[in-house]
Amino acid sequence: MNKALLDPKIHITVLLVTVLSEYIGIKRITVGPGVMLFLPILYALVITGALTIKRLGFFKREQSVAASPLITLSILFLVARIAVIIGPNIMTIIAAGPALLLQELGNLGTIFLALPVALLLGLKREAVGATHSIAREPNVALISEDYTLDSPEGLGVLGVYVIGTLFGAIFMGLFAGFLASTTSLHPYALAMASGVGSGSMMAASSGSLLALFPDMKDQIAAFAGASNLISTGSGLYVSIFVALPLTEWLYKKLEPVLGRKKSVE
Amino acid sequence: MKVSFMDSVVVMIISGVIIAIGNMVGYKVDIMASVPGLVYLFLIILAGVAMTKIIPWKVPSIAYITLIGILVTIPAFPYSKMIVDATGKINLLATATPVLAYAGIALGKDMETLKKMGWKIVVVSIFVFMGTFIGSAVIAHLILKMQGII
Repeated sequence: MNKALLDPKIHITVLLVTVLSEYIGIKRITVGPGVMLFLPILYALVITGALTIKRLGFFKREQSVAASPLITLSILFLVARIAVIIGPNIMTIIAAGPALLLQELGNLGTIFLALPVALLLGLKREAVGATHSIAREPNVALISEDYTLDSPEGLGVLGVYVIGTLFGAIFMGLFAGFLASTTSLHPYALAMASGVGSGSMMAASSGSLLALFPDMKDQIAAFAGASNLISTGSGLYVSIFVALPLTEWLYKKLEPVLGRKKSVE
Repeated sequence: MKVSFMDSVVVMIISGVIIAIGNMVGYKVDIMASVPGLVYLFLIILAGVAMTKIIPWKVPSIAYITLIGILVTIPAFPYSKMIVDATGKINLLATATPVLAYAGIALGKDMETLKKMGWKIVVVSIFVFMGTFIGSAVIAHLILKMQGII
């Protein structure tokens, strides 16, 4: 048995933090025209994240390293739970097949929105790595193969990957709730968009939608789960054949116009 | 880190217990009422992990777990109603809370990398997340509308 994985301090902390987070429950805060939802998953992430702050000395680095495979294992319950929602709704999913497959191309939205911003901020080749995709594991692997990870492009993709790991779930959870309450985008469409990133991002953003639209909760969970599975399967190919070439092309067009003279550093 | 099959099983039992307790605190479901659903989910996961080990294609275990979970709950499967009813007691969000608690602990090691990146990458990341989410939601919305589903 691998002792590091069974470290009682990790599991007891997770148990206590889960109990505390569920006890606090869902809180809604109205911000201007929108609603921001604070879910137990967000409290759980923030509390245990705060416990890893070095100065507190509560968790050691080795415990932080051991927690990574624990995420991969514990998330399987969420995966299975969503699968048993998809089953009874399978006809709805098949009917929505075209939307589910094509929304994968929505990933390209990041290039048009984020690449100009990155160039205006003074990023150079880092921008290509950073903005070609939502930077999950397959995308990091792709950039690593094409440019290596210690290249500027590699730094860019790693940057977004780390920010996504740290704050992606928090941000996506709040953003999904906000869009749902301020735009006329249908909850089904938002549910499909919830699946674009990591499993945690999907849990946070579809969680907000479930809380806002309780009478559509099965469809929302089913669409989010199906979309996440399709993203995991096809995201890499969209990156290789469409997103990365498109980012390179747009970079060549925009960099002379928007880029600053000198590279950052 | 090397994770053996036994390690996975023990960790999943621990996660299952934490989920049952969270499901009681957050959603007022009696622990004993959560047990059958969690056992079904556990068996679906085990079958998926076993398939990953047996079938030589390089497919992640979540793909098999999802496939099996779907197959045993489509209305045509003889025990589907029993499985859907039992697992229905497990609140979806209750299965996610412990995951994010583990994720928080894992963050410690990434904080150091983040400090080296600076604030610009934070701003760019926010636009990356917004761009992807909005792009995907808009396409999905338009196509669902065209199909007349919404």
